[in-house]
Amino acid sequence: MQLTWKDIPVVPNQTEFTDVILNRTQRKTPTVIRPGFKVQRIRQFYMRKVRFTGDGFVEKLQEIVDSFPRINDLHPFHRDLLDTLYEKNHYKISLASLSRAKTLIEGVSRDYVRLLKFGQSLFQCKQLKRAALGRMATIIKRLKDPLQYLEQVRQHLGRLPSIDPNTRTLLICGYPNVGKSSFLKSITKADVDVQPYAFTTKALYVGHFDYKYLRFQAIDTPGILDRPTEEMNNIEMQSIYAVAHLRSCVMYFMDLSEQCGFSIEDQVKLFHSIKPLFANKTVMVVINKVDLKRVSDLNPEQQDLLKTVSEQNNVEIHELSCATEENVMQIRNIACEKLLTARIEQKMKSTARVAKLMNRINVSRPKPRDDVVRAPYIIDDADKPFEGPLSKEIEAEQGGAGVYQPDYHEAYLLEDEEWKNDIVPELLNGKNVYDFIDPEIGAKLAALEAEEEALIEQGFYNSEEDEEMETSDVEDIRAKADWIRKRHKVMMSESRLKRTMARHAVMPRKHTRRTADKLEQHFDDIGLDAKQISARIQRAQSENKDRAGRGADAVLGAQGNQIIESGRIPSLDADLAEHLNLTKSGREKALRLKKIQQRQWTNDGRRNESDRRIESSKPKHLNTGKRGIGKADHR
Amino acid sequence: MSVRAQFDNSNEVGVFAKLTNSFALIGISGSQNFYSAFESKLGGKIPLCQTTIDGNRIVGRLTAGNRRGLLVPVNTSDQELQHIRNTLPDEIKVQRVEERLSALGNVICCNDHVALVHPDIERETEEIIADVLGVEVFRQTIAGNTLVGSFAAITNIGGLVHPQTSVEDQEELSSLLQIPLVAGTVNRGSAVIGGGLVVNDYFSVVGYDTTAPELHVIESIFELNSDAPDQDVLIENYY
Repeated sequence: MQLTWKDIPVVPNQTEFTDVILNRTQRKTPTVIRPGFKVQRIRQFYMRKVRFTGDGFVEKLQEIVDSFPRINDLHPFHRDLLDTLYEKNHYKISLASLSRAKTLIEGVSRDYVRLLKFGQSLFQCKQLKRAALGRMATIIKRLKDPLQYLEQVRQHLGRLPSIDPNTRTLLICGYPNVGKSSFLKSITKADVDVQPYAFTTKALYVGHFDYKYLRFQAIDTPGILDRPTEEMNNIEMQSIYAVAHLRSCVMYFMDLSEQCGFSIEDQVKLFHSIKPLFANKTVMVVINKVDLKRVSDLNPEQQDLLKTVSEQNNVEIHELSCATEENVMQIRNIACEKLLTARIEQKMKSTARVAKLMNRINVSRPKPRDDVVRAPYIIDDADKPFEGPLSKEIEAEQGGAGVYQPDYHEAYLLEDEEWKNDIVPELLNGKNVYDFIDPEIGAKLAALEAEEEALIEQGFYNSEEDEEMETSDVEDIRAKADWIRKRHKVMMSESRLKRTMARHAVMPRKHTRRTADKLEQHFDDIGLDAKQISARIQRAQSENKDRAGRGADAVLGAQGNQIIESGRIPSLDADLAEHLNLTKSGREKALRLKKIQQRQWTNDGRRNESDRRIESSKPKHLNTGKRGIGKADHR
Repeated sequence: MSVRAQFDNSNEVGVFAKLTNSFALIGISGSQNFYSAFESKLGGKIPLCQTTIDGNRIVGRLTAGNRRGLLVPVNTSDQELQHIRNTLPDEIKVQRVEERLSALGNVICCNDHVALVHPDIERETEEIIADVLGVEVFRQTIAGNTLVGSFAAITNIGGLVHPQTSVEDQEELSSLLQIPLVAGTVNRGSAVIGGGLVVNDYFSVVGYDTTAPELHVIESIFELNSDAPDQDVLIENYY
């Protein structure tokens, strides 16, 4: 809720108002127009002027109306305060006249814009514009009084103290000149005028102070005279409204010395007459100026009179003196305390909200469930200050964070200081070192060694007799293992070769050369005896020798040994060359000729000279039909 | 006595440190400022161990302990364990715990006599806690949260719990723990009490953002400094 209205913009008087708006029209709209222009353009020009001026007035008026507080939406205290200060009806009528002027100006603007649509000439349009602006200015001129009044209200509103009706408030009231302002002055820093005559204070004054870390406001009110409220003046009414509307602790001030010019009877009577306003509030009576006269100094009748105040309403009477500062702070604290208890009592009634808060300020105390003592454990030297440089100071000295590396091993508690920085590897020979850490490892090792020695002495390891037998066995096994390994390697490379050979043309079986040596080798590999079969082969060969000189057999037979020696199957060309008995140069020539002859076939993409295949020369199916982008990359 | 501190610009000091009556574990940070917050008060009186757990700096959330012992999660490396054992005196038992809920600081909330644990913790772990830390173990939740270690901080003197703990829950927990309890916040309204503060019977470190009223509550419930806060003032202030 708004408590102060310091930022209401200045309300101009009627001449300033029109000047400002017309000036703005002149500056912000085009200024050059000629009779020769199209009439459409001329109308547009003047319509714009009229509309702009109307909008300017409307905007400004609206701003003023909006910036003033709406009196009915305020807190009752502020509403009544503004009512007494500014006369509510007057205030509302002024604002209403402003907003009526706004609608009138809107109407004028709308009418003249409509008329301008029918303007025939520059002159006619100009006259219409003048008439429109003139009427608007007249409307504003008639607002002279409201504007003046609102400006004064604005200035006064801005100076009103910021009174929060809902916060913790001490309200100081009483007859004029009983020392209300001096009390405010002595408990807060508010600079209040204190004078020895009645009605020094003509308005509400607010001061603030702290008690128990809470901010309190103390409000000094003008003095009240004991008369019916209808007869009270504006100054007194402010006090009455403050007492009536503010949730506060009311401190009713009295002056027993009657220095203020009012008798004790009058003061007591006033208390009783404004008593109805104290409903639901904490009230205390404060006797001021006790340096002059105390309650105990009064005669019995007056004391009885005073008792009527305290007895009826459960009101406490306190004595203080602002002049000697006697009791001032104590009474302030008592008032604050009373106010707090009253407010908290009220707040505790709304359980829902308080429950939310209560769990946060509730301290649960345990009920003992057994006899176990659960004592705290506080080290003896807990309060001893730390000696020596802090780690962060050392760090700063040695180059700051990121440069300095603290020694985390410094704090180790080990048997030997020198062990602190020993490096213990995490892994050693692929083993986690910490898996083998054992406090009794030394003892265990010693025991093992002793056992071992004992075994040696017993001759547990002496077994020389069967050594020789073992060696021959071992050698046999080793030879076999070697053979297996070798064989394994061969098999691996053969298999690898087989895989690569799969991509190549395979030599037909009947063309591979099979020799006796290979056969023997193979038999040997698979562990069969090849003696018989090699004997048969030798026999057959010797027979073959006899049959030499007959056809191809003669050639192959002659070459048998040679092939085995070179270990390579000759190409057919070489074969042929051999067959034809060509010389080396002749063989090269034949090769060259062969290549030349083959060139034509390769160019034609034929396999050989017998390849007469004709591919389709016009592949229509490849070149017709729909095609999207990038579908026919063969073109 | 309380100290406000930050760990590398983080206010969650309870995440990066574990404080007990007989030792403190402190995460390894970029600078020594955080360590010095502890050192200034505790240096030379109880062992302060700067370490990591499984390479993590969040030692406060991963470990649980009191003045008798320390529990570390199963993924603590051997070197770290050795480092901790070397730094702490032999009276303090250090024990690895094979527990699925390996952030032991979050699931265990203990002082030297009583421990509150997560309701889903394994039975073996419960036994280990009772043996190593020498405490009574209770499975509990705090304001409906199972992570008791995160949402409460207790000592032998008092305890601070999640701000939304109801009064009845507070009473129940208080009678289990046999210490006074209060609901509160740290670090300008954070409900993660265990994360925002570390405390023992004579010292506390709180996050840097902790406000004066929060600190006041902390100091009075743990009896670190002054008298209890005035209830009326609190109602007036917060209502």
